[in-house]
Amino acid sequence: MGFRPCGVYHQQYHQDHAWWQTRFVWGKMIFLFIVIFYLFPQFAGLYMVSVFNIVGYTILAAMGVQLLIGYCGQVTLGHAAFIAVGAYTSSILMLQVKWPAFLVEAGLVYPISLIAAAIVAGLWSVLFGLPSAKVKGFYLIMTTMAAQFITVDFIITQYVSQVGGRGSYFSIPPGTIKIGPWVIDNDMKYYYLAAILVILCTFIMANLIRSKIGRAWIAIRDNDIAAEALGVNIVAYKLLAFFVAGAFGGIAGAYWITNLFFVSPEHFLFPWSLWLVGVILIGGVGSIYGTIFGALFMTLIPEGLKALIFILTQSSFILDLMPFLPLLLEKFLYVKEAAFGLAIALFLIFEPNGFSYRWWQMKNYFNLWPFSY
Amino acid sequence: MDLFLQLLITGILVGSIYALVALGWTLIYKCSGVLNLAMGELTLIGAYVCLSFYQWGIPFILALAFTLVVGFALGLLTEHLFLRPMVGEPVLSVIMVTVGLSFFFKGVVELIWGTDTVVFTPTIFPIEPIFIGKVVVGQVYLWAFIASIILLIAFVSFFKYTKWGLSMQATADDEMAALSLGVNAKIVYALAWAIAFMAAGVGGTLLGNINGLNISVGYLGLLVLPAVVLGGLNSVPGAIVGGLVIGVLQNLADGYISPFTPGGVKDVFPFAVMVIILLFKPYGLWGWVRIERV
Repeated sequence: MGFRPCGVYHQQYHQDHAWWQTRFVWGKMIFLFIVIFYLFPQFAGLYMVSVFNIVGYTILAAMGVQLLIGYCGQVTLGHAAFIAVGAYTSSILMLQVKWPAFLVEAGLVYPISLIAAAIVAGLWSVLFGLPSAKVKGFYLIMTTMAAQFITVDFIITQYVSQVGGRGSYFSIPPGTIKIGPWVIDNDMKYYYLAAILVILCTFIMANLIRSKIGRAWIAIRDNDIAAEALGVNIVAYKLLAFFVAGAFGGIAGAYWITNLFFVSPEHFLFPWSLWLVGVILIGGVGSIYGTIFGALFMTLIPEGLKALIFILTQSSFILDLMPFLPLLLEKFLYVKEAAFGLAIALFLIFEPNGFSYRWWQMKNYFNLWPFSY
Repeated sequence: MDLFLQLLITGILVGSIYALVALGWTLIYKCSGVLNLAMGELTLIGAYVCLSFYQWGIPFILALAFTLVVGFALGLLTEHLFLRPMVGEPVLSVIMVTVGLSFFFKGVVELIWGTDTVVFTPTIFPIEPIFIGKVVVGQVYLWAFIASIILLIAFVSFFKYTKWGLSMQATADDEMAALSLGVNAKIVYALAWAIAFMAAGVGGTLLGNINGLNISVGYLGLLVLPAVVLGGLNSVPGAIVGGLVIGVLQNLADGYISPFTPGGVKDVFPFAVMVIILLFKPYGLWGWVRIERV
């Protein structure tokens, strides 16, 4: 449970169970909320807000991966498939179903489709989690990879995309996506939606992890035979992990369609699955902070790099010095890919615990500062 | 019947290339226990290197030989820089290093050679097809088959008859015993990666000759995974048979199932087969059965 500062005594159980146990943490969290909901959107500018929409999407998408790999030890390389299922469920429900007028009036269509997306993606994920009852390790990786190819490259591309005869991508008419009276139609609103969903999902995830379910998952991760000996129903808990992870993926998918107003199988290809695993590896496996740090790092660093190269190309002196820069900017996508791959490999070699470990060390250091013993 | 024969033979010819790449994969797994997910990108690199040599005016056979040399060097380098520090780390970490490598290689390939489809010009193999009975076979396929078979024989005899090959087999069988008998495990690991790079390079070149060369050749490299799962992860004959069977199944699926679907069966079918194999016979045809609780 971490350290408590000197002089903080708990006399009731509910104090021990509390999320935020000291005034300092309360203050920190309130400050964080103010930053997320007021200061940042107010002062950061539209471009930064749109970058943070991607961060939010990445966090939502990587949360399920974190649950499966980081907490339950079931490696998945096909999570993009479940995100795709969520996105398509949500958009099909919104586009193809004749909703009763009062639901449309009340703006409940999108929330209902979001929940349905979570459930359908969760069930789809359980379907491909079933082999986990029989195989583990590398073989499970193979089945999740197969899930990716079967779902996205075959079922969605060849069949689901043809629903309604709109060709390979669905586009959602503006104004369709609304929650109650709140029409979600610009970057600022996507940002608020992302913030709410991320906070909600983080809250659910953190609560699951500290409950009986989460402890069972961690036991399975650390030693499945011992977990079974202690009475954990391994298959059921593994499938539950797949369900919850898939549901997070579905929510991420349903969020993604608000961001773009259309959905295409090309957004959910195999590299995106790998990218998500990279996010949690760099952020730190087995830590919710890790998901967030990883998503921030993987989105902000490329943006920063791009901005840096762009600024450098503006000055003719540097351009003479390094004439390859404009080409680099033009091919930035590939630079990003190569840098990302290198980052994963180097992180695993030199910093296998990721950013969350450094964060933990830093917190401990300041907890004990200035007397470190 | 004609259709069946046609599909069967095309499948075997393409499958021989898969077998070659799968051999490289199995080798790495056998010798060092690394599950390599970067195989597709190794084929890409080899293919593009060969293409570059060829475009500089070097005759194809010589270009292929140079590709082997470059592949050998790259293999040693990759093993030394990325895989050597990971010895003894958890399996997942090692797998993810190879995933990182696959992104890295792909990014570098795209950066250097671009993403447009390129073909080997002037064409290496004549375009006129050959008729075997009623079966039509492109010459490219035939030559690719012959080249893969030659290389497969070369690699297998390397394992059986040379000192290094034998020491690789010994390391794969029991690392501790091999070490105590004076086998240098470091060199064996490096050699495994070098050979994998070489095999993948040739495989990529041949695949690039068939359909033109672009990034999607890397996805074809992923098809070795169903092949090795079918054959058993640590079995060399398994990899060869698995490659051939996957090639045949893929073509049969394309011929018989595709008419009933909008398309795309060819790419997905091997993976569907893989899931079924994993459910019923996870250790493949000749893999070592490790009894473990799940």
